[in-house]
Amino acid sequence: MKILGLDDVTFWYPATANPALENVSLDVAPGDIVALVGRGGAGASTLLLIAAGLAPRVTGGRLAGSVSRGGRAGIVLPTPWTQVSGMAFTVWDEVAFGPANLGWPGHEITRHVDRALERLEIAPLASRDPATLSGGELQRVIIAGILAMDPDLLVLDEPTAELDPEGARAVWRLARSLAGEGKAVLLATSDVDALPDVADRIVWLEQGSVRAIGAPSLLAEDAMCEAGLGTTVAGLWRAAGLGAPYPLTVVDAAQRWR
Amino acid sequence: MSALHPFSLLAIAAALPAFAWILPAPGGALATALVALGLTLTPGAGPGSTAGWSTPGRRPGFVTFRTALVSAAPFWLFLLLLHDVPTMVRMGLRITTMVASFVWLVAALSPDRLVEAMVARGWSLAIAYLFAATLSAVPILRARARRIVAAQRCRGLSPRGSVANRLRALRALALPLVLSALHEVDERTLALETRGLGTGVRRTPLAAPLDRTAERAGRWALLLLCLAALIWRLA
Amino acid sequence: MALTRALAFDGVAFSYGNVAALSDVSFEVGAGEGVALLGRNGAGKSTVVRLVTGLARPDEGTVWIGDWDTAGHTPEQLAWRVGSLFQHADQQLFARTLREDVSFGPRALGFPAREVQRRTDEALDALDLHASAAQHPYDLSPALRKLAALAGALALEPALLVLDEPTAGLDRAGRARVAEAVREHAGRGAAVLVVTHDLGFAAETLQRGIVLDRGRLACDEPLDRLLTSAERLKPLGLVPPPVAALSVALDLPGRPVRERDAAHTLARVAGGRSAS
Repeated sequence: MKILGLDDVTFWYPATANPALENVSLDVAPGDIVALVGRGGAGASTLLLIAAGLAPRVTGGRLAGSVSRGGRAGIVLPTPWTQVSGMAFTVWDEVAFGPANLGWPGHEITRHVDRALERLEIAPLASRDPATLSGGELQRVIIAGILAMDPDLLVLDEPTAELDPEGARAVWRLARSLAGEGKAVLLATSDVDALPDVADRIVWLEQGSVRAIGAPSLLAEDAMCEAGLGTTVAGLWRAAGLGAPYPLTVVDAAQRWR
Repeated sequence: MSALHPFSLLAIAAALPAFAWILPAPGGALATALVALGLTLTPGAGPGSTAGWSTPGRRPGFVTFRTALVSAAPFWLFLLLLHDVPTMVRMGLRITTMVASFVWLVAALSPDRLVEAMVARGWSLAIAYLFAATLSAVPILRARARRIVAAQRCRGLSPRGSVANRLRALRALALPLVLSALHEVDERTLALETRGLGTGVRRTPLAAPLDRTAERAGRWALLLLCLAALIWRLA
Repeated sequence: MALTRALAFDGVAFSYGNVAALSDVSFEVGAGEGVALLGRNGAGKSTVVRLVTGLARPDEGTVWIGDWDTAGHTPEQLAWRVGSLFQHADQQLFARTLREDVSFGPRALGFPAREVQRRTDEALDALDLHASAAQHPYDLSPALRKLAALAGALALEPALLVLDEPTAGLDRAGRARVAEAVREHAGRGAAVLVVTHDLGFAAETLQRGIVLDRGRLACDEPLDRLLTSAERLKPLGLVPPPVAALSVALDLPGRPVRERDAAHTLARVAGGRSAS
């Protein structure tokens, strides 16, 4: 059973003539990690808002086509500092904000919050004041806050933008472990090089439409490299004039070389 | 002070200006102004000297007191220009009471405790949050104002110097502050939805503040006193 | 206006309250040099930026911008020599049009109208922003606002350019624009210091890497040596970026760290292999 099904979805923001998304169809099943790739303004953030049930309900606008859900979604925005509650003295309270709003009993909240802090590897920050955190720490706190609400589908918009390499790796590990538990992850990122080891499927968005959907090997194809969206290694191979198929990662390239 | 129930803090902050306007000036207004300013000298619940709601506990020195005075000062100036001295004193003291009460409230009342208290009483989370957001807006805006001033100074803007200079500096601070804050209202509404607000579900209180019987009685007493004063004044 | 010793940290220590952010940090950046300031979150990088712009004064030691001691100058005075881009710079825009915002710096410094116009035009050129120049900043995407903030720093034509995470949130095209603008600016003799997690961007744009670890200087060396050395990077929480990692894995001669160099070397070696 799908966690999310978008069927021929077209979406217009309020008072705009051109649709932000056009005829997009996409299914996400439990255990999937699906990554949206595209240039800025291609519609990835809009698609994620629709997946999270926030568009058109909160953003306004018009949606044509159908969206079906098999579970609850939680989204981490590309501007995580806007998702801060503004009324928690500690990181623990901040992460508990969401579950408390859902009306869960106290022991459930504690269980989910502790688990979320552990998974994001931020348990040492539990008694810190959110206002004193760095951008990277805050991003991880917000991810924990959404995770603590136990969504079936975790939607992440540029989840590693503020993070250092270790922090980024923790997030990718989290995505894989969630998928392993039967949850689904739908994400958009400009860090294309991380995707071969993380994503099951890549969706190439261009000007609001789906140009291609496929396995991560898509990131090593000529069309994507031409558009500047392929992995660095694939792009390099192509720039060196070596023949297709291009290697996806450094490991692939090393194997090819021998 | 911060150990008091949030509703008690609200009651005091509302009662003082009410008394200031009801009681005969200048005596009544002076008394309430002094009480309000005195409150600003008591330890606060929230902000330390750094941005945001830092370690709960004492607020260093006279910061709240100074803020109250500085916020009230422009009103005195306008009153001086527009009215004669007795009127200026009368209205000035009343306005000072209002300003000082509000400044004290912002310093003493922590938004999370207010929301917890309201929700425990059955208020909808959305309304409770609206109140809390007004309070928490102050330190958030203050932090952002500081960041914007820093960025503009690094572009050569001098906040000191001539009046024209200072006005220019004010514009370079006020505009981005307001624009980015307004722009963020939309984003923030969306963002708070992601944290479960607006679902209509009854929120689980994480740590509802204790409401002692004495405090509740005290609040009713305050209300009755206000009404009594009003009736006495009108009669 | 280029400064030979554009930036110098001399035994600098700084603490927030009783938490030490920087201890005994010393380094120099000369005219035309491009330096990447690297390290984990919390290593002290943003503190360095605050000290360079004069927003904070060192507790110990001295920060020199040319022959100016930052302790004796205000940030607005230092703006004559330092152009800076902070994180979340897109929140600092305020003018009615993008062009007006970019010209804010030169105007604040008191340059005549014609000079302000020239600088603004060149900055907009460098980042390819002419198409959006007449628009209201808040009608633009955060990515474009970020580029606008960078243009504002470039318009100051500073001897030292300090950028804090200039590519965060930008797509490949945006990163390329920033890289081009930075290289051009350094080419004119300015010194450039960039705080970044994007080691690939650092490799393309800068030559030297300074790594901070818990407030101390852990290393200060050429990027092409540093980025190809996984054993050095690992304890500092860093990982070689793709091009450098590929160079090492394939044992390419010269261990190139830039895309263009790597592509040439790769083509050459591959050609040599197929010939043999």
